[in-house]
Amino acid sequence: MFDCKQRFVLLFFLIIFVAFYDMPAFAHKVSIFAWVEGDTVYTQSKFSKGKRAKNSSVIVFDLEGNKLLEGKTDDNGEFSFKIPKQTALKVVLKASMGHMAEWTIPVEEINPEAVSNVKDSYETAFQSRSDVPGRNQPVSSESHGISRQEIKKLIDESLDRKLAPIMNMLADSYGGDPSLTEIIGGIGYIFGLVGVAMYFTSRRKRNHDSGS
Amino acid sequence: MHISEGVLSPAILTGGAALTAIGVGIGLKCIDYEEIPYMGILTAGFFVASLIHLPVGPSSVHLILNGMLGLILGWKAFPAILVGLALQALLFQFGGITTLGINTLNMALPAVTCYYLFGWGVKKSSGRLVFIITAFAAGCCAVLFAGILVGLSLYLNGKAFLPAAKLLVAVHLPVMLIEGILTATCALFLRKVRPDILDGLYV
Repeated sequence: MFDCKQRFVLLFFLIIFVAFYDMPAFAHKVSIFAWVEGDTVYTQSKFSKGKRAKNSSVIVFDLEGNKLLEGKTDDNGEFSFKIPKQTALKVVLKASMGHMAEWTIPVEEINPEAVSNVKDSYETAFQSRSDVPGRNQPVSSESHGISRQEIKKLIDESLDRKLAPIMNMLADSYGGDPSLTEIIGGIGYIFGLVGVAMYFTSRRKRNHDSGS
Repeated sequence: MHISEGVLSPAILTGGAALTAIGVGIGLKCIDYEEIPYMGILTAGFFVASLIHLPVGPSSVHLILNGMLGLILGWKAFPAILVGLALQALLFQFGGITTLGINTLNMALPAVTCYYLFGWGVKKSSGRLVFIITAFAAGCCAVLFAGILVGLSLYLNGKAFLPAAKLLVAVHLPVMLIEGILTATCALFLRKVRPDILDGLYV
């Protein structure tokens, strides 16, 4: 009898684990990761462990819940948009069959100059550049070298470029598959609950037996 | 099959949670001391089964095993599935805590339905062919009904029912097949080694 029970348990877990290791693991949860580069927000959406969420809709809200814009992810699960407004953004991904995920970009991450001053900085940059070689004007603080804003812009650009691989790595690692620790932990919880349930029912049974 | 947090409206969530509470109550009432160990084993199986994924179309689906749970546990599938889903939500972030009620209902109600529809055939005394067919049908239909119920929840939330349900059922066709075979295999094995578990169905 006990032998049979053991065989049942063994077979059950054997089936589970054979199937688990044979099939490619694509999780059933979606995740979205969004980051800011200059004046553009990039998002990457996926079902965890790699499979990208293609052709899913991405909706951008501000924190008050006003819809700012909407778009669809491409074949790589990516979607990017210009920052519509100087505010914290909530990026919501809606995949098929009731799957949803969201990511909030805090207002600090959104560079105010990137939104409002894009035009101004370009204009000043052009002016100072065209001024210097064009007419040999007396040296002013503007035409001496590069304006403050321009330096800032250049630094931002090169930082964005340098950080791009790191952002991609973060996007890839975000929302990963459950680890073995979590799986074993969950099974442990279930066995613990079985123990608790048996404890209480056995007490009930004992009380019942001694009562009657 | 797990509906994410924030998709459904509060009314549907509370409705689902209330119905689940009733189901869990009935399930807990009929638990017997001897049944707890295999309830635990089946819960563990259910918990791990959702990690077995099949890539289908733009999404991916996973095994559910609710048919097998329903066939062996009957109403006790409700507490078992609730525990499994709660741990999946906490540890894997599948579904969510607020959607726990409706998700449990969507998976456990088909399990109980299949137990009443096909439980009569999965018994020691029934013929081998009937036994295999009913076990297969239980595994198959539990997934089908779950798909329909998820489609219905999305429909109540304002989505068109037919496209949502059609997509869900179409995507779960391979899962239905695999679950049917798995359920039939396990039931056959149980009939060989522990026929008393199967016959405990109707006491």
